[in-house]
Amino acid sequence: MVEVPHPRRQGAFSEAEHEKLQRDFDALSDQFDAADEVLSAMGRSAGDPETVLATIVESACRLCRSQAAQLYVLEDGVYKLIKAVGLSKEAIRLLAEQPMPIDRGTLAGRVGLDRSPQQIADVLADPDYGRHDLQRVGGFRTTMGAPMLLDDQVVGALVVWRNEVNPFDEREMTIVAAFAVQAAMAVNGVKLVQQLETRGVELAKKVEELEALREVGEAVGSSLDVDNVLATVAMHAVELSGTDGGSIMEYSERDRCFMVRNVYRTDQAVVDRLRTIRIDLDETLVGRAAKLRRPIAVPDLGAVDLDAHLQILHDDGWRSLVAVPMLREDQIVGSLVVRRKRTGDFTEEALDLLETFASQSALALLNARLYRELKEQSLELELASRHKSEFLASMSHELRTPLNAVLGFSEVLLERMFGDINERQEEYLRDIHGSGKHLLELLNEILDLSKVEAGRMELDYSAFELRSVLEDAASMLRERAAGNGLELRVDVAEDVGPVYSDELRVKQVALNLMTNAVKFTGEGGSVLVRAVRGLSEIEITVADTGIGVPEQDRERIFESFQQGGRGSSREEGTGLGLTLSRRIVELLGGRMWLESEVGVGSTFGFSLPARDRQVAGRSHDDQVTPVVGAVVVIEDDRPSLDLLTAYLSGAALEVTTARDGQSGLEAVRRVRPDAVLLDIRLPGIDGWSVLQALKTDPETRDIPVIIVSIVDERARGVALGAAGYLVKPVSRDDLLAALRGAGAPVPTGDTWEETEVRTT
Amino acid sequence: MSQSRILVVEDNPKNLKLVRDVLTYSGYEVIEATCGEDGVRLAAEESPDLILMDLQLPGIDGAEALRQIRLNGTNADVTVVAVTAFAMNDDRQRAFQSGFNGYVEKPISVRGLPQQIRDFLSLGGTA
Repeated sequence: MVEVPHPRRQGAFSEAEHEKLQRDFDALSDQFDAADEVLSAMGRSAGDPETVLATIVESACRLCRSQAAQLYVLEDGVYKLIKAVGLSKEAIRLLAEQPMPIDRGTLAGRVGLDRSPQQIADVLADPDYGRHDLQRVGGFRTTMGAPMLLDDQVVGALVVWRNEVNPFDEREMTIVAAFAVQAAMAVNGVKLVQQLETRGVELAKKVEELEALREVGEAVGSSLDVDNVLATVAMHAVELSGTDGGSIMEYSERDRCFMVRNVYRTDQAVVDRLRTIRIDLDETLVGRAAKLRRPIAVPDLGAVDLDAHLQILHDDGWRSLVAVPMLREDQIVGSLVVRRKRTGDFTEEALDLLETFASQSALALLNARLYRELKEQSLELELASRHKSEFLASMSHELRTPLNAVLGFSEVLLERMFGDINERQEEYLRDIHGSGKHLLELLNEILDLSKVEAGRMELDYSAFELRSVLEDAASMLRERAAGNGLELRVDVAEDVGPVYSDELRVKQVALNLMTNAVKFTGEGGSVLVRAVRGLSEIEITVADTGIGVPEQDRERIFESFQQGGRGSSREEGTGLGLTLSRRIVELLGGRMWLESEVGVGSTFGFSLPARDRQVAGRSHDDQVTPVVGAVVVIEDDRPSLDLLTAYLSGAALEVTTARDGQSGLEAVRRVRPDAVLLDIRLPGIDGWSVLQALKTDPETRDIPVIIVSIVDERARGVALGAAGYLVKPVSRDDLLAALRGAGAPVPTGDTWEETEVRTT
Repeated sequence: MSQSRILVVEDNPKNLKLVRDVLTYSGYEVIEATCGEDGVRLAAEESPDLILMDLQLPGIDGAEALRQIRLNGTNADVTVVAVTAFAMNDDRQRAFQSGFNGYVEKPISVRGLPQQIRDFLSLGGTA
């Protein structure tokens, strides 16, 4: 608030007094208005200090009835004019060219030194005044000013001047001092804003850089597409460094030279040319930078000796560049080059940034190199593995062929085809034959194992009776068991239904376990083979009363060529049986285990996944064929069985197979199929007896039976109640027609797309 | 019919000799071929009652020889049995797919082969 003086109480005012009072009042009122204006300008323009400063200078000039006013800020020890009113261009130029230092030669200098407002009543009369040049241009005589102080520091000065000798009064000096304070604050605001802006730009740039680095880092980490990664790096390096193009080169330690891997904004023709030259470590700028382990900038390509690489770039119009070595643990990996079409320096900042990018690229290139090597290695491995498989296949063929002759001829002689032999000869022939068979077994197991290891073992899934498989295996060992005075028993639980697995492989495993059990069980002992149904699997165990397997050998015996300590060396084996068996069981989706007590016996077990009523399809046939009916095939000959099963599953029929008469009868009673295919020559009870049994049982009487036999005894078959009679070999069409004729649900549509099998 | 004539196509001379000995001993007349091409030619010229065909042969393999035999005008329906190595499951599958009438496994069973041959011959008779 400005105080208005009260008129005196006694006596009247003289005219002169009145006038003076009026003038004072007007001046104060002006001052009030000006202050108000400045304040409101500051309020309005809080975010725009420029306007505030302009208002201050302009108001100071007017309120102090001056011809000119200037606002200086102190920078590097001299006053720099930032705002002025009433100043000629000449004066402004002079102030810019020769700024005023803080000394006694100028008013601004004096207010800065003394930190207080003051004036020079007449600059021409002041012996210390030093800027007569300025005085001559500006024409001022009296000058007054105040320092701009901020935190007790001089930051500038506000100065007014009059063109006649007319000193400023106290009130005017107060105004300028007050305005100087405001100006100091405003200038500070400007500085803050400028700093903020600079900081903002810096921040934005940093953010951009970080963003780019993140992108590059991500690309390096996630993508094995090296070219993509390097393209990303090159692009960001060029854009962030404000250059016009760039390239990434890979260093070859062996060749001691760099090869262009990727470019950004570079003509293909140039790239092609760059790829034809040798960018040598010892003879190029790129190489020198790499050897020095730091970036080298060339601000003007026209001013240096050009190596082959630079020459090509120069020819294409490039004028400046930086070569940044790409290093990894101080090893040269490559080089990042960014270039401009114009000459010019590169900032320290840009170089720093490029170095960061170069190290990222180094990582990408190393990753790429690793990936490439890995790929080459895996190709080599694949090739090696294929060679190994081919080698094994051919080896097995090559070894098998002479072995066939050894086995065959020894058998010919043992059969006495060419006359009698004596006892010693027979014994030796048996040794030859036995050793040959052992060798063949070994060969087969090696081949099987290598197939499993290579993931090439083909599994042939079908539904079959576990009982017949186990009985079959047992029957092969019975003679030997009896010879050792062993009891060998097979016990399959009632609820163990048909198993869906690879029958031959299951038999192979079971036979292996049983053979071991018989081998390692002494006179008078027993071997019990059991199959029980678990929750989700079928468990097959082979328990013996043999010598047992010590704890420390229980894992080892599953490894190749380890027979464990449970047998004397008289027992010959391949040492591969258990290894192979376990791998096969795992392949079939089961597991294998061993429980043993030394001196009491061992129980080897394995499991198979239990699955009910599966379609007996081919294992490689992925699509599930809907099943429309069920057929039981009783056939002992494996090839015939394979063929019939293939025909039937192709026609969407579920097949249950049996390999002898007894299990065939059981299968029919359990499955209650839509039809039965029956062979006549069967081990145990023959086909005729099976037919008779089926036809006399009221439970199975109505199930149609089709005889499939080599023997043509059609009349006998029909007489015994067969619904059809086929003589082998049987074609698919004949078979399906016979089934249809017998009333089995066989689709008439041609669902069969396999190669037609010929009939003869 | 007197003696049945069997054509054996087998490239390994010792194995060929073995099969020949066993079959001759069992009373068959044996014709020999050591490659697929000869097998195809003899199948037509000699009209054997049965052919035992090794699958792996120099030149054309067993499956190709079979195809050519089936294309022949004469004796195209002859029973042809593949001789495959045991444990070569895929060989067996292929044998059926190629149209062989059956297979015998290597190593051949000296005792069992004559019976297998009798079975195959009876096949041909009823075709």
